[in-house]
Amino acid sequence: MFLTRSEYDRGVNTFSPEGRLFQVEYAIEAIKLGSTAIGIRTPGGVVLAVEKRITSPLMEPTTVEKIVEVDRHIGCATSGLMADARTLIDRARVECQNHWFNYNEPMSIESCAQAVSSLAIGFSDSSDGGSAMSRPFGVAILFAGIENGAPELWHMDPSGTYMKFLAKAIGSGSEGAQQNLQDNYSPDMTVDDAVELALNTLKQVMEEKLNSTNVEVMKITPEKLFEMYPKTEVEAVISKLQQ
Amino acid sequence: MISAENFPEYNVPGVVKHDFHPYESNGGSVVAIAGDDYAVIAADTRLSSGYSIHTRKQNKLFKLSGTTVLGSTGCWCDTLALTSLISARMKMYHYLHQKVMPTNAISQMLSIIMYHKRFFPYYVSNILAGLDADGKGVVYSYDPIGHCELASYRAGGSAGALLQPVLDNQIGLKNQENVAKDPIPKEKAISVIVDTFISAAERDIYTGDGVIINVITKDGIETRNVSLRKD
Repeated sequence: MFLTRSEYDRGVNTFSPEGRLFQVEYAIEAIKLGSTAIGIRTPGGVVLAVEKRITSPLMEPTTVEKIVEVDRHIGCATSGLMADARTLIDRARVECQNHWFNYNEPMSIESCAQAVSSLAIGFSDSSDGGSAMSRPFGVAILFAGIENGAPELWHMDPSGTYMKFLAKAIGSGSEGAQQNLQDNYSPDMTVDDAVELALNTLKQVMEEKLNSTNVEVMKITPEKLFEMYPKTEVEAVISKLQQ
Repeated sequence: MISAENFPEYNVPGVVKHDFHPYESNGGSVVAIAGDDYAVIAADTRLSSGYSIHTRKQNKLFKLSGTTVLGSTGCWCDTLALTSLISARMKMYHYLHQKVMPTNAISQMLSIIMYHKRFFPYYVSNILAGLDADGKGVVYSYDPIGHCELASYRAGGSAGALLQPVLDNQIGLKNQENVAKDPIPKEKAISVIVDTFISAAERDIYTGDGVIINVITKDGIETRNVSLRKD
């Protein structure tokens, strides 16, 4: 693989003779350097939990924002280059408001992922004027949302591929985390079960010790839509895990 | 200011000035009533211009989906332009979001399409009838620049001002004492609509010839035809 890769990994617009786009594959590799993020869908709602890397004790942990509200019915967790994530999240927010303005209804989660994906694969598109993004976005996104009262979880990677999941892990610890989710996911779990499973999974894959400042947790339910977990509640779940 | 009036030497006999008349009123009326589990919308079939009648059998109801019908009258060419734009937009929505556009989304989209032509409006009187997400009947009425109002009954078009008070009394039960405000049965709504058109055809020369009625229920859209006076 490394032999044939030479010279064909420079341009984002050139396929290798085996039909691969190396820059896109490298972008997917970039996600594996990012912090771990986990999404779990249950019948009662979707849970997102992310690890926040606190690189210095002098850093203000609340300024690391990895879970964001896109619309009242959609929340996103990101892993990878945070600056790239902001661009994609901005697009998701604009598309959701545009859809509401034009059609007076909340945008579907799939359509939102679709809209973001078309920006994600537009990196080589310089035909419609303006400066194009010259490289793929180094971000993977988990979309958690409520559609017609039903919870949904979607995942999108730098190639713009988006898929629906019951539970998904992205970021540096994703391989171990995904295996743990596969072993412990059950289709009838409650939202509280899912929060516990998510934090337990993070605990296993994180390098630092899990505490209420280096994780962020969000739940989205048909009743209350987007809700971040306050620090006290995160602490409560963590202390429950330690018992 | 430089204008033609400042150059009298150009104002010689024989100069023909062409005014711009982009609009035409082709007449026609629409009435719609929403019930608990149905919506009825009806329009007459006469298309005219001044004292001439272009046709006596023009359907002015547009089936936009299995649960939504638009009644559109006014300048007929604007109606055609608007309805073809709506159906194109609905197809795009269907391909993009993989679902048929619901009535409430159509109502909002129509409002925005109309307001986008705020300073050269579509000269049309629109009434949208259909079923909402819960299967309840809804009627939306519009002004030519896109103001949208949710109502339970509405008359519009050339005889709108004649028909609305009849509906206010018979469907809205306005100015009546000691009446039970029961839900209006579907057949009662249809017969009131037919009666209003018979009355309108007596007084409005732009309404007549026939009525096409669309009855929208969860089982589909049923079409009925009734004749009106043809003079």
